[in-house]
Amino acid sequence: MQGTRSIRLQNKKEDAIKLADFLHSCATTYKIPDSAYNDLRLVLEEVFINIASYAYDKDDIQMISVDLNDIDDGINITFTDTGVAFDPLSYTYDDMESADHSEGGMGIHIIRSLTDHQHYHRAGQSNVFTVTKHYTKHNKE
Amino acid sequence: MSLDIVITPEANNGKRISIAGSLDSNTAPQLQQSIDNEISDSVTATIIDFNGLDFLSSAGLRVIFKAKKLMDGNGGKFLLVNLQPQIKKVFEIIKALDGMNVFKDQEEMDEYLAAMQDKVKEGE
Repeated sequence: MQGTRSIRLQNKKEDAIKLADFLHSCATTYKIPDSAYNDLRLVLEEVFINIASYAYDKDDIQMISVDLNDIDDGINITFTDTGVAFDPLSYTYDDMESADHSEGGMGIHIIRSLTDHQHYHRAGQSNVFTVTKHYTKHNKE
Repeated sequence: MSLDIVITPEANNGKRISIAGSLDSNTAPQLQQSIDNEISDSVTATIIDFNGLDFLSSAGLRVIFKAKKLMDGNGGKFLLVNLQPQIKKVFEIIKALDGMNVFKDQEEMDEYLAAMQDKVKEGE
């Protein structure tokens, strides 16, 4: 296993690009297969944009940490921010089929669908949100 | 990770919006701008051509569904074509494919449009 790699980002949506680049830079070392990589790229975007959009006041520039932790059968990704307490798992559409998709609310549904486990807790002044995705690591060098 | 948008006219005052690259929270406003500029009440059909799009997030989906709402309100058609597997998967996750006109390629869409035109002629 390759341990943990971390990046610190500002709560600006432009930093989603840095996060995608970061995942890309880890993909080979972490032996992430293509299908899981595509899913993780989307999950990272959805979680990050959610935090960047809602955790802080508009002009309050703060840091968001993202840790990628290589595990035996996949990856754990932890997002930590010091914004307003918010459990993203508390918010979901009961019925996605009849939802008005032009109104949003799809992000958390995508996150739940593309990861195997999600966990939120408030640690002191921080929101800590972790997702786990299982996959078989590829053997490409 | 940029988005390329090309707008081309289609038959009977339709518009094709071809998107390539990444439709995400940073690029979605560009597509919204194009739709605002191009999709007027007189447009009878809007085709979103996904050929070349390799990433789609919920911010991009919102723009697509707003455009659909606009076309539904105008009584126009809204068609999606050339969805790559990873793009189609996102639509499937949010259970949004029912009630949408989605075509795997140009040929399938042409068949649909020809059948629709035949129906219109029969009604004349």
